[in-house]
Amino acid sequence: MGTFDGILSGLSVAFSVQGMLFVLIGVFAGTFIGMMPGLGPISAIAIMIPLTYNMEPTVALVLMAGVYYGAVFGGSTSSILLNAPGISGTVATAFDGYPMAQNGQAGKALAIAAISSFAGGTVSVVLLMLFAPLLASVAIVFGPPEYFALMLLGLTAIASLSDGSTIKALISAVLGLMFVTIGMDSQTGTTRFTFNNSNLLEGIDFLVIALGLFAIAEICNLIVNRKKTIKNQGNIGSLKLSKQDFKDMSGPMTRQSFLGFILGVLPGAGATIASFIGYITEKKIAKRPEEFGKGAVKGISAPETANNAATSGAFVPLLSLGIPGSGTTAVLLGALLVLNVPPGPLLIEEQPDLFWGVIISMYIGNVFLLILNLPLIPYIAKVLLIPRPMLISLVIMFSMIGVYSISFSTFDLYLLLAFGVIGYLMKLYNFPAAPLILAFILGGMMEESFRQAMTIANDDLTVFFTRPIALSMLIVALLSFLVPIIRQKKTTSA
Amino acid sequence: MFRSANKMISMILIVIAIFYLYLAFQIPAFATGMFTASTMPKAAGFLLILLSIFLFFIKEGESEEDQEKRKEAGQHIFYLGGVGVMILLYITLLEPVGFILASTIFIFLCSLFMGYRKHIVNAVTSIVFPLTLYLVFTQLLNISLPPGILPL
Repeated sequence: MGTFDGILSGLSVAFSVQGMLFVLIGVFAGTFIGMMPGLGPISAIAIMIPLTYNMEPTVALVLMAGVYYGAVFGGSTSSILLNAPGISGTVATAFDGYPMAQNGQAGKALAIAAISSFAGGTVSVVLLMLFAPLLASVAIVFGPPEYFALMLLGLTAIASLSDGSTIKALISAVLGLMFVTIGMDSQTGTTRFTFNNSNLLEGIDFLVIALGLFAIAEICNLIVNRKKTIKNQGNIGSLKLSKQDFKDMSGPMTRQSFLGFILGVLPGAGATIASFIGYITEKKIAKRPEEFGKGAVKGISAPETANNAATSGAFVPLLSLGIPGSGTTAVLLGALLVLNVPPGPLLIEEQPDLFWGVIISMYIGNVFLLILNLPLIPYIAKVLLIPRPMLISLVIMFSMIGVYSISFSTFDLYLLLAFGVIGYLMKLYNFPAAPLILAFILGGMMEESFRQAMTIANDDLTVFFTRPIALSMLIVALLSFLVPIIRQKKTTSA
Repeated sequence: MFRSANKMISMILIVIAIFYLYLAFQIPAFATGMFTASTMPKAAGFLLILLSIFLFFIKEGESEEDQEKRKEAGQHIFYLGGVGVMILLYITLLEPVGFILASTIFIFLCSLFMGYRKHIVNAVTSIVFPLTLYLVFTQLLNISLPPGILPL
């Protein structure tokens, strides 16, 4: 069966009544679960696995794809409305989504997120169809040195993630690196900074830090301003986007669909890095970068497009090589094996209807996601009309249940409170929280790939300079770190 | 004022970094070679000291808005501390008393403390929200939450 026949049979699967129905159920369930505190695509898919035991593999996968997309989108709503990113992929969305919502444009922010997610998801599915087999071979060229260079490239974004002092941003990032070293070292099993506390053996969970630094710190801010209300309450649920808004979105949507997809293909990189890099590149090339962080349209559109594009990208190594590139695709791999579908290079050859059926239902899933979510936005946005005193207690409970549902330990809840205090102090003394969370996310992978690279190369540092992909990424990293600092120096001395 | 704030933070960070480095040097090296489990912690510790020294010496202006922000936080310290204590109690009671009861008490008292005066709405919300979330998590999503003393 050729590719064309495969696509045709895929279409017939996806457009069957059963296929459509399950995409719809998947998208709806995914959005709902994604909105729940602490639950992201991983939990959403894991929850669905038992339901798919007796299903036909194609239908089951169609359902999973819908759940996956829905959960990624659902996660962005709590980022935008409450500054409480439930999963790492939506942290960057909060940078501009939350300020826009606080300006009384929550509906608009959610609509931008929905439309950008749609664009990112749709374009990347087309890319997936065209380049899946080819890109899979690129992904395996990526060894530890390349990963180290990629993580470093992501980290250089720190300088551009702060509006004020670069020193403070860098200190914040180093603190992030220090937090990530807590726990058992993945390579040697040595415990580091655990103070013999078994709760710290596995390290600090990302969610504890994200919810502490963003949600709980923001709660402190709300406590101080509890008597104030959001401006322009009348328009809070309005989805109206102006021509200018669409114009602002078009650039990030086009660029980040491609960039996000490519980053998604690389195992381990995934939606989080894609969303950060998407945000930063758009800020760097923007004519008015000063608008970022204050509710810029581009600042929401870029990370949302990128994280959805990366979501499809992550399917490339999964479906064509059988390598899961992220936690979510690892769970999906498990689901595939349960369904007796071993993914790998032969999947396209042997079960084209399944391969293409999934890809085409991803496309349909995106359309459904948009149709389903746009009408719901005005209602979702009304969360912000809850009186502040009540919102404060509800968000605290929301964050608590989020952390508790992944670790089942009250120790993590105390940590959450501690990070809330740290986050609020950082806010008061103008230390940006974004570099800390970015360094925390990337630091672990960076250290691991660096040490793997060193083990392979017998501690020879030149390995980073002899491999072309790694070298070029390191050069870009150096430039992207130095250029903003030099530019800043020039403007302050001028 | 602002320069002393930077200087104070810088000193605190240096103390943290020294303590962190002290622990980093205690990490046993099981692997041979230059790069072990303690390499990155050591690098991070020294980097923090270096950056803190920079922070000590930079002359960075702060806007009045920033200073106002801190003054305002100081004025509300009673409320910030109060909510902090409530959260501590909430966490401590969560497992023994159970999610529903602990959350209900927390939401009601915390909203009241923050100045919410519609007591009936407050009571209804503080019962309905935790109950709904509890049912969604335990029944729909199969994630267990502490039932506590309620006969569930």
